[in-house]
Amino acid sequence: MFWKAFVVGLVGVFAMFDSRLLGRENFEQPLIVSTLVGLVLGDVSKGLLVGATLELVSMGIVQVGAAVPPDMVLGSVVASAFAILSHTSAQAALTVALPVAVLGQLVAIVIRMLFSSFNQLVENAIDAGKFRKARSYHIVYGPIIYGLLYFVPVFLAIFLGTNVVTSFVKMIPDWLTNGLTLASKILPAYGFALLMSTMIDKKNAVYLFLGFFIAAYGKMTVISVAIFAVIFAIILNKFMSNNENNNAAPKTSSSDDLDDLEEL
Amino acid sequence: MTEQKNTDKRLRHKFWQFFWRSWAIQTSWNYESQMNMGFMYGMAPTIDEIYGEKPDTPEKLQKKKEAYHRHMAFFNCTPQLTSFVLGLSSAMEEEYAANPDTFDPDSINGVKTSLMGPLSGIGDSFFQGTVKIIAFGLGINMAQQGNIFGPILAMIISIIPSVIVTYWGGKWGYLQGKKNIQRLISNGTINRIMSLMNVIGLMVIGAMVATMIGITTPIKFGKTFVLQKTLDSIFPQMLSLAFTLGMFYLIKKKVNTAWIMVICIFGGILLSVLGIFN
Repeated sequence: MFWKAFVVGLVGVFAMFDSRLLGRENFEQPLIVSTLVGLVLGDVSKGLLVGATLELVSMGIVQVGAAVPPDMVLGSVVASAFAILSHTSAQAALTVALPVAVLGQLVAIVIRMLFSSFNQLVENAIDAGKFRKARSYHIVYGPIIYGLLYFVPVFLAIFLGTNVVTSFVKMIPDWLTNGLTLASKILPAYGFALLMSTMIDKKNAVYLFLGFFIAAYGKMTVISVAIFAVIFAIILNKFMSNNENNNAAPKTSSSDDLDDLEEL
Repeated sequence: MTEQKNTDKRLRHKFWQFFWRSWAIQTSWNYESQMNMGFMYGMAPTIDEIYGEKPDTPEKLQKKKEAYHRHMAFFNCTPQLTSFVLGLSSAMEEEYAANPDTFDPDSINGVKTSLMGPLSGIGDSFFQGTVKIIAFGLGINMAQQGNIFGPILAMIISIIPSVIVTYWGGKWGYLQGKKNIQRLISNGTINRIMSLMNVIGLMVIGAMVATMIGITTPIKFGKTFVLQKTLDSIFPQMLSLAFTLGMFYLIKKKVNTAWIMVICIFGGILLSVLGIFN
């Protein structure tokens, strides 16, 4: 059991590193994670089945900015190992996956708060001229902390048996789970506010509301609003160059400016 | 001829550096400045190349420290599109090192900031929306029939656009930056591009607020009055917008990040327990 728990733990770390070190190539998706767990535990077809079920549940969860959705990485690793080792159905695995996912979400929030405190340490290292040390917070300590904080719970869950996990997760009261779910909706609001605070001023604040209301009333996706926004900016650019031409002498022709835009 | 080959090799090395460091940008993702340490790590090879691994003069050391500090500013963008910003910023850093008197280093962060809104909105919804749904829609279908090719196909569909966009983004950003940035800055075009980028960025963020937060209220009075319905009839997603603007207010008031985190988490639990929002 020790080695089984060990390799499943490594699968968990790999899945975690997908979004940290590999730009989120989707190795972290339940379908892939469960198949890998099935592979290392010697039951690929079961892994596939559990993966497909979990993937359907987590589909539609889109992670943007600060959003921390229930952590299906941790959830699907533990759940598919549980289903394979205890010969239960994919549906039963689901009842393990979701609570563990909430647990993983909690871990993720704690890590992201911990890393906030790194900022000052990095600035200090730069001031001291210790550039290698400044970089190591990102590329050495980051992966180590993530690796450990994901390896240990997965390893313990498999090693001690999924009963322990289930009873531990059952101890988490509903109000805490619901509360964290609400908190995980407020956190992205903070992320969006941070992002917009870098670019907003009195003159252009109106565009934030334009985008919001197009999406809210029109029930449109972000990408369709983005396409409209680009077209809108091109039109706006035309007006801006006309104004410039009227105000100042024809120093730069408007067609030149348009060319510049296209090049970028 | 061999010299040409050497520069090509050096450039290719640089582009792969942008590539891997964009992918690895999230290992220190934090609530305070998000991907800032990752961006600094991505800029490090360029800065080290300009000012030397161990700067030989105090001025160079000072400049190097300033450059490292500069790229510790708030950053957040889709990793696949970050390579473009890394390439462009690297070209600008080199430009600044070559013309320290005429080039304003603040414009580097200005360009970064104006790019990240539009790029992350478009990039996140493309890679985490469109590509993922196509890849895993097909993958699930095959996996349910017990076909091992399902997950493999899903990964192939996911990785190919990601690799192409990341590599070419870095290359394009760097080469275009080298070629055009000086001209664009000197004739003022860059300011206009930046303000247009802000327009796109704000519209995209507005759309993200409307579609990706989804805070609602369970409050009702009697059987007939459901508060959420009334709010929706005025305008949908009103609470999500209200929370975002509230957070924006706290940021403007310069409330400490740690406090905002505490407010988000404990406030969230409290409001949920009281049954005000969910």
